Amino acid sequence: MANLEVRNVRKSFGDTHVLKGISLDLDGGEFLVLLGPSGCGKSTLLNMIAGLDSITDGEIVIDGRVVNAVHPKNRDIAMVFQSYALYPNMTVKKNIAFGLEMRGVPAEERERLISRTAELLQIDHLLGRKPAQLSGGQRQRVAMGRALVRDPKIFLFDEPLSNLDAKLRVDMRTEIKKLHARLGTTIVYVTHDQIEAMTLATQIAVMRGGVIEQLAPPQEVYEQPANMYVGGFVGSPPMNFVPATLVEHGNGLAVRFACTSDGSAGDVDLPLADPSEDLAPWRDRKVIFGLRPEALTDYNEAEASIREHAHAFDCRVDVLEPTGADTLTYVDLGGETAIARVNPRRTTNPGETMRLMADMSHASLFDPETERRI
Amino acid sequence: MPADTTVTSSDAETGVRGWLQRHLSKLVVAPSFLAAVIFFYGFILWTVYISLTGSRMLPDYELIGFDNYLRIWRLSRWETAFDNLFIFGVLFILISMAVGCVLAVLLDQRIRAEGVLRSIYLYPMAISYIVTGTAWKWLLDPGIGLEKAMHDMGWTSFSFGWINDPDMAIYTVVIAAVWQASGFVMAMVLAALRGVDDEIIKAAWLDGASLPNIYRRIIIPTIRPVFLSAFVILMHLAIKTFDLVMALTAGGPGTSTAVPATFMYDMAFQRDRLDFAATSAVMMLATVAAIIVPYLYSEIRGPRRG
Amino acid sequence: MASLPQQAAADTLGAKIGRGVLYAALILFAAFYILPMLVMLATSVKDIEEIRAGSLLALPQAITFEAWGYAWNEACIGVECTGLAPYFMNSVLMVIPSVFLSSLFGALNGYALTKWRFPGANVIFGLLLFGSFIPFQVVLLPMSQTLGFLGLASSVPGLVLVHSVYGIAFTTLFFRNYYVSLPDDLVKAATIDGAGFFTIFWRIILPLSPSIIVVTVIWQFTQIWNDFLFGASFTSGGAQPVTVALNNLVNTTTGVKLYNVDMAAAIIAALPTLLVYIIAGRYFVRGLTAGSVKG
Repeated sequence: MANLEVRNVRKSFGDTHVLKGISLDLDGGEFLVLLGPSGCGKSTLLNMIAGLDSITDGEIVIDGRVVNAVHPKNRDIAMVFQSYALYPNMTVKKNIAFGLEMRGVPAEERERLISRTAELLQIDHLLGRKPAQLSGGQRQRVAMGRALVRDPKIFLFDEPLSNLDAKLRVDMRTEIKKLHARLGTTIVYVTHDQIEAMTLATQIAVMRGGVIEQLAPPQEVYEQPANMYVGGFVGSPPMNFVPATLVEHGNGLAVRFACTSDGSAGDVDLPLADPSEDLAPWRDRKVIFGLRPEALTDYNEAEASIREHAHAFDCRVDVLEPTGADTLTYVDLGGETAIARVNPRRTTNPGETMRLMADMSHASLFDPETERRI
Repeated sequence: MPADTTVTSSDAETGVRGWLQRHLSKLVVAPSFLAAVIFFYGFILWTVYISLTGSRMLPDYELIGFDNYLRIWRLSRWETAFDNLFIFGVLFILISMAVGCVLAVLLDQRIRAEGVLRSIYLYPMAISYIVTGTAWKWLLDPGIGLEKAMHDMGWTSFSFGWINDPDMAIYTVVIAAVWQASGFVMAMVLAALRGVDDEIIKAAWLDGASLPNIYRRIIIPTIRPVFLSAFVILMHLAIKTFDLVMALTAGGPGTSTAVPATFMYDMAFQRDRLDFAATSAVMMLATVAAIIVPYLYSEIRGPRRG
Repeated sequence: MASLPQQAAADTLGAKIGRGVLYAALILFAAFYILPMLVMLATSVKDIEEIRAGSLLALPQAITFEAWGYAWNEACIGVECTGLAPYFMNSVLMVIPSVFLSSLFGALNGYALTKWRFPGANVIFGLLLFGSFIPFQVVLLPMSQTLGFLGLASSVPGLVLVHSVYGIAFTTLFFRNYYVSLPDDLVKAATIDGAGFFTIFWRIILPLSPSIIVVTVIWQFTQIWNDFLFGASFTSGGAQPVTVALNNLVNTTTGVKLYNVDMAAAIIAALPTLLVYIIAGRYFVRGLTAGSVKG
């Protein structure tokens, strides 16, 4: 268990700036997921932590030691690669043993460590095989075994599940989660899959264009995205963004946006749950009103009466997409398409008007210019 | 892939070991790099320099300007050599390409014993041009080879004495060279044909295209790069042709089958004219470079490179 | 296009005639390529009387290996009547170290240039790549001066040096194109596992290279064995390789022309590369195409 600190790290290739000043601080035992689209610099950051890529500027600190100039083998880290990078010419056993051998671990000790790791990952029966004779899931396990056997301070995972089929990916995800719970080692995990990030992480760093957009625990990233980018990247379907105006509403404030119902366009006002002082300057100005699809549902009288901040309004339905558990209902709010999660038994036909309910306790507001959370 | 995605040593260990670790890659390449700089490029410069001097048997380092490049063209022998290179080069490349393509397309028709046939077409590429020259010299000798065989079989009017005819001898070089290299074109084109996506062909088939049409409209355009590669390599072989001429005709009769490579060799090692030898060598290099440099440039800079 | 859909009407008369023509053409071409070798072989086992009297295309009436024996250790090459044997040995002594050295450097260069890139690596590769296309005439004069200076003129070690140096361009190209396709992650994983430059090369990269090693060795062997230009330019007399000796033997004009001996000698000189081709033709073809595609 080691803490990891990244201090204002930059990476440039000539005029191309891949990382533009990354800082993060991770306690021992945390599971940090670097989440972002391809090209956002997440893999570069991981490679720099591993020591596989040079650092243009800034510092990487493992357990209080600046490791910028420390060779990868001396950083006490282990890495699982997207391609697994198993040595094709060696058996599974030799693959796992290689790192120990390079570190001069005596043969008997190696045997002991390998059999312990193989048992943990249930790959004992595969030890004699070559990587080419393994299935994708088995290779994945061997790759993890190679990392685990050395008992490093930090595990680095580079999109380890992206080469597996959907079913296996879910299984392995669970397994990695269990492993983390059991070993308690610090993990840095790179992925572009936001579901993986949500399920595994204790901290998510959402990255874009070489910067961290938000670094927070998963639930916070989900419920209070730092900006529209994060809200749109995390969650499936993504957060709805409704162009709206902040207006006075009784004692508080409300968002006002246009929507069509019963054949005529009209404005809807939804009062904010918590109109804090900070919002005062935004009165009568344009904002972006963000609402997760599950906070926009079919109107349900019983629930509406329980939930303090649930507000009903009517809107015309454009498209329906049944997913089984919910039916994704597309409506037009303020000129943008928004998605509501509707109980399949309470849907309307496209073109008809339906009564929706917005849970304003989950509302987010963004600055239309900077796209930042207000 | 940007250069730095591979391992960059960031070893803190200072001193000799750390320095070695960081620069090992360069150190390993250094001998070859030095060899290339000296034995390729240094030597080229030396030859270029000599071509600007009046060296005879021994190098003479006094520059005389570009005289040699003018004087060489007044030598009928060089003119013959250059004409021959042109005749030989054009015919050799065209015929080898044509034969190679025909063979590849024929072999691509689900042929039984394809492997055996392919091996037969290609084996001449494995043997020395000297052996090829020896064999063809003898086959083409009117007194002992094919002509005599035809006479023996009763076709007494058959006459094939090109190898002794100064006007025709260069064509015998073409025959032997095609025999040697056309299988190579076949191998390249066949490999390219096999690399064409099956689904494209199936789609064309379902669209109702006939087999000749599929080849003409779809397959040939798809594998066009391989023609370029084959062309460049054949051109390169043609310009370097030396062994074959030495073994087949030794440049004769007279100097009728001289090519730049034999001209250069003669000047350098028989006639003690280092100046002309160097001049002709530089002109050969210039000819090769005019073809190869744009080709390599396009290959290295081409879209296929990641 | 191995899986071109089977024509539905494959057994019509027209289709059968078409197949017939196709096979006839293929067999005619095969005859063109194979006949010279067969005629050479037949001639080499005839005696000289039969060659003069009989037809080129006739099968030998009585097989005799006299010409082979004569070509191997009696035939006159220039003024020395030693047969091809000593020159054949020269070629063997030349080819083994040259192939080994050029392949070893090629492998190391390919590995360093793809897996441990440094600024300028591409320039170095470009310099070497262009080197594989240089017409060697342009280096003959300075090379012969250099060999004289090094005391290696007209010697087998001199030829070894020449072939090793000029072979590196091609071997580097071969190995580089192969190693480019090996995942970089392997090297990264091994680095994290604690292996260094040479350990990764010996333990990971070389064990993955047998096919490209075979391709390169066969290519280099064929090129160097068949070389004539360097042999003819840099050696004379007893240091000549077998190709030069063969050419001298065939062009020795004194005495009666012994065609059977010429043919036997030609086949002897061609035998090593032909054997390699027959045993490992698959790799030979890959070498040919690998040298042409710059990957």
